[in-house]
Amino acid sequence: MLVVLFIYSKVCKLSAKPEFIEQAKNGNVLARKCTNCGELHLATVYFCKKCGSKCFEDSVISGKGKIVTYTIMTVPPEGFEEFAPYAWAVMELDDDSRLRISGFLPKVATPEDLPIGTLAEIVGFDERGIVLKKQ
Amino acid sequence: MLGAGSTKYGKLDDSISDITIQASAAAIENAGIEPKEIKAGYISNVFGVADKQVHLGPVVMSNLGISERPSLSIESACGSGSVSFREAYANVAAGFYDAVLVTGVEKVTHTGTEWTTTYFSYCSDFFYEGQAGASFPGLFASMARAYLNEFDATEEDLASVAVKNHDNGLSNPKAHLRRKITIDDVMNSAVVASPLKLFDCCPFSDGASSVVICNEQFARDHSKDYVKVIGSGRGGSPAALQGREHLTTIPSTKIAAADAYKMAGITAKDVDFAEVHDCFTVAEVVDTEDLGFFEKGEGAKAARNGETKLNGSISINPSGGLKSKGHPIGATGVGQVVEVFEQLTGKSGERTVNDAKIGLTQNFGATGASCAVHIFQSV
Repeated sequence: MLVVLFIYSKVCKLSAKPEFIEQAKNGNVLARKCTNCGELHLATVYFCKKCGSKCFEDSVISGKGKIVTYTIMTVPPEGFEEFAPYAWAVMELDDDSRLRISGFLPKVATPEDLPIGTLAEIVGFDERGIVLKKQ
Repeated sequence: MLGAGSTKYGKLDDSISDITIQASAAAIENAGIEPKEIKAGYISNVFGVADKQVHLGPVVMSNLGISERPSLSIESACGSGSVSFREAYANVAAGFYDAVLVTGVEKVTHTGTEWTTTYFSYCSDFFYEGQAGASFPGLFASMARAYLNEFDATEEDLASVAVKNHDNGLSNPKAHLRRKITIDDVMNSAVVASPLKLFDCCPFSDGASSVVICNEQFARDHSKDYVKVIGSGRGGSPAALQGREHLTTIPSTKIAAADAYKMAGITAKDVDFAEVHDCFTVAEVVDTEDLGFFEKGEGAKAARNGETKLNGSISINPSGGLKSKGHPIGATGVGQVVEVFEQLTGKSGERTVNDAKIGLTQNFGATGASCAVHIFQSV
């Protein structure tokens, strides 16, 4: 049974949060392609949302995209006081996956600073989670 | 549903245990039964830790003189109350108990805005949202910006939801914010998370609400003033906004509503009034579309034209909603049911929806990651 589990864990990975964070630090998104049906997910998932498989192959996508929506935070939660006002934004990645990823986007004070469609990119990951900036 | 009771919503001095017991006792008294007839307790609460009392169930049951009865606490963020109601309903329907108590409670105002903003953000998909500086106003503001960008809608339309709910709340003696406001008041209030302003947001509230649910034979044996539960549905959505195909709809609401309508054998057109989850003005607009009262993209126009006012084409939030009545998050879903009970038993005074026979409640957790919808009918 242990041998089976060992082989299974080699083929079918669990969530790859540490690897996902490392890729974000390098400006990339670690995605996972379902080896059964081809559906693409962010690498933090454990099971395919389309077919239920848990077998994936890694796919590194460039963390560049365009802003689909955002807010400008003027009443921040704890730990973000020194950054306000800042944006929290949802970005759609440039490749044809249509994957979306959200994050912290500092130095945005008015809606004129960040029209929907603005090009943005992942520039890091720290205690503020995924950090974005305008391209 | 045989009885209902609530504390006032707002900034309360009594402890979380005290207000939970007060609402529970009021519901039992309103039902005209003895505590001993309650066979189980369902308590919904999110931040009991803020007032130094979790495991509220046994404390409540002990103070009602029924310490031997089982109880439990249920947490599903701002949707805790409706989920608790559903679990209680399911257990009565399954025949486990003849009559049970459902009480929701929250006590957080003593902690201050920063604590509540921070702790409430733990209800999001924290790795992607709360951790990256998104508060709940921020998450709903992101939905609002997408809505304003996609449809025929303005910030003034969103403001009209707040104005309408404050008008309704004026007639609710238990509402947290009982004051008339104007579109200008909303537009000129401080920006919290653009495009949402302070008056687009519901308040942080303390409060407790409670109902007694029982089987129909038990109800008939005790009172003529009961209300039937005719539909119950629950649904889920991707926890993070980034995982949703559309940012202007809440999938869990549509799933829960479809199940509840199917069970009740009705459609949205048959509903006379609804208590919906208007934690932010944009949420009410989205809810009224997802529940099928208006086409997608038409909700803001309907609010602008007054269709959702008390005794408009469909009365939305006659209680004042979360916006005016208040939002003690663990209590809110039960509080909506209390309003429906009062409406359908003729106890709503000036805010009565005329000739109402069928009422609906919709209550979700976080940005609608979880949702429950219930449909009620007068007897």
